[in-house]
Amino acid sequence: MTAPGGRRGSRALAAALGERRVLVVCGAGGVGKTTTAAALALQAALEGRHVLVCTIDPARRLATSLGLAALGGRPRPLDLSPLGPRGHGALWAMMLDTRRTFDALVERHAPGETARRRILDNRFYRQVSSALAGSHEYMAMEKLLELSADDRFDLVVLDTPPTRHALDFLEAPERLMGFLDTSVLRWFLKPYFVAGRLTLKVATRTGAFALDLADRVLGLQFLQDLSEFFLAFEGMYAGFKQRAEKVHALLRGEDSGFVLVAGPARTTLDEALYFYRRLREKDMPFVGLVVNRVHPDPLAEAGPVPRGAAGVDAALARALLRLMEDQARVARRERRGIARLEDEVSEPLVLVPELEADVHDLRGLKEVGELLLSGGRSPSRRRRPSQLQAQGRG
Amino acid sequence: MLLDDLLSRRLLVLSGKGGTGKSVVGTALAIAARGRGKRVLLVEVDAPLEAPRYLGAPRTGGREAEVRPGLFTVNLDPAAVMDEYVRRVVRVDVLARRILDSPVYRRFFAAAPGLPELMLLGKIMVFEEARAARFSSRPRYDLILVDAPSTGHGISFLKVPLAASRAAPAGPVGHNARRILALLQDPQRTALVIVAAPEEMAVVEAQELHRAALEELGMRPRALVLNQCHEARFSREQEADILRLAADAAAGRLARGVGLPAALAAARRHVRRRKLTQFYQGRLRRVLPLPMASLPYLFDEDIGPSSIERLARRIEAA
Repeated sequence: MTAPGGRRGSRALAAALGERRVLVVCGAGGVGKTTTAAALALQAALEGRHVLVCTIDPARRLATSLGLAALGGRPRPLDLSPLGPRGHGALWAMMLDTRRTFDALVERHAPGETARRRILDNRFYRQVSSALAGSHEYMAMEKLLELSADDRFDLVVLDTPPTRHALDFLEAPERLMGFLDTSVLRWFLKPYFVAGRLTLKVATRTGAFALDLADRVLGLQFLQDLSEFFLAFEGMYAGFKQRAEKVHALLRGEDSGFVLVAGPARTTLDEALYFYRRLREKDMPFVGLVVNRVHPDPLAEAGPVPRGAAGVDAALARALLRLMEDQARVARRERRGIARLEDEVSEPLVLVPELEADVHDLRGLKEVGELLLSGGRSPSRRRRPSQLQAQGRG
Repeated sequence: MLLDDLLSRRLLVLSGKGGTGKSVVGTALAIAARGRGKRVLLVEVDAPLEAPRYLGAPRTGGREAEVRPGLFTVNLDPAAVMDEYVRRVVRVDVLARRILDSPVYRRFFAAAPGLPELMLLGKIMVFEEARAARFSSRPRYDLILVDAPSTGHGISFLKVPLAASRAAPAGPVGHNARRILALLQDPQRTALVIVAAPEEMAVVEAQELHRAALEELGMRPRALVLNQCHEARFSREQEADILRLAADAAAGRLARGVGLPAALAAARRHVRRRKLTQFYQGRLRRVLPLPMASLPYLFDEDIGPSSIERLARRIEAA
């Protein structure tokens, strides 16, 4: 929590921005994750890299923090000239459009026109591709792979949905691989589901038994539709599996890194810790942990204090002291949570103080980025609560 | 007023931007409802269970636990809910076990988009339909509060029954999806409560959620809770004095070891937050036609039962 620690954390961030090709920024909701992702991407661009920042969060936050009304599903170059003269870097931004990514995937990989139409017209597909939760993660995975191979960018910074779902994202390649690997798929592709008509005359008793159970749990009509859907993708599975394996490898490789973002509230710190453990378990490359919006402790900021305070009457003095005690309590609450995290996370945390104003333009993002890379501001040192009480009354 | 309207529903779904304190607000709302004699179930689906911690009760899991008399909490895990569903539908234990143990089932559930969400919402519907006793017409819970995922994912979460009912017109999946949809879209039984904080992005997302609820989800938002409000603690004159002294870089000592500059910096931070709070209160009142409850920012060293009860009293008074 001291300044040198923060600087070491910042150095790790700066090194990652200079070297890696993929940075995944994860954290709970409302901790400034999108802003952190955009600020890091901007710093890398100002250092001369060609950077794309992509949000897979269904809420339109990145658009707001970049001062854009809406971001399309395609990378869009941002004008960095308001920030003054700079090197040869460039910053692009985009938002993941699940439906369009899925469609493009089908367009690109379907073995022929008939197969293509069969998928795009499938009732199940039309719902799955745009509306269902979970499909975001699959498509994010496909998109990440595509973007990481795009020559225009030498760094992709990926903003993710809140923790729980970012974990879904991490696990999406494995889940898809598991699905494509096992008998699940073969089960759906069994002959009795073929050709849109359901033949209940199955060859084996086990088959009939399984079918009967499936009917009770999910319904045969649903299963038939589902198998139609899976059959429509026949010929594309090898490709799916191959790409899932590639993302899996990409996310574990030396060129990738994970930046965790938390807020100072206990809930978000707990989630960051949970996520940190999962990353470690899965052998994912961890880069650093950023704690945003840390509140200062006004009672710990005192230097040598001269006597007398002109213009402050007793009532105002009392109100001011009460406010300072309140703010100090918040600072203590936060410090306790942060200390718990520091006990376990091997790398130093980067603490960013609460900012004076909301960030919603490039200039603000640049300031945040500079704070992130300069060790934040070290929050004030600890003081004993008893001391505060005495002063409050004095 | 706001509470009266909410308490005449059966199901309250809370959503809003992450970090706005949905769990705290949900718990306070549950306490307020309990204070009116309602039997309340608080359902958490997105996060490790927070409510019992705020109330100083031990952690609860997938079974409803009575954390205070008449106040229950439950933490739903989609996979466990799906297992329970299979057991209930299949009935014969041996058969159910065979399904549950099969790798096909496990992987299918893990990979099928939307199925976990559908299962969670289905379970919430089961809670809504539950009776106090067999042959009783009295519901087991008067009010069910759902701490739903935050905005972006919350909208996709609530959209699942709609998508599933379209994707599966026949069979148990489509049938259940339509029943869930009927519950969510019934303005008599269900209301959406939007949680926000006085910050730009949280306010933008509150508006976005309001729009999506009406246009895409067919759900009715009934109340807005603006959490983490910084309320005025100085008089107008005092605020003016603070800003003037700060501008003059006034030096001096406020108390032993406490310098005036630090106090003025703290006060300016407060005044800025207080103004932002008022600004966003005004904007939300203009753009969202919803009754609003403003809850104060908590300065407590620990967020515990007394903090939550203070918020509950504010909801009661709104």
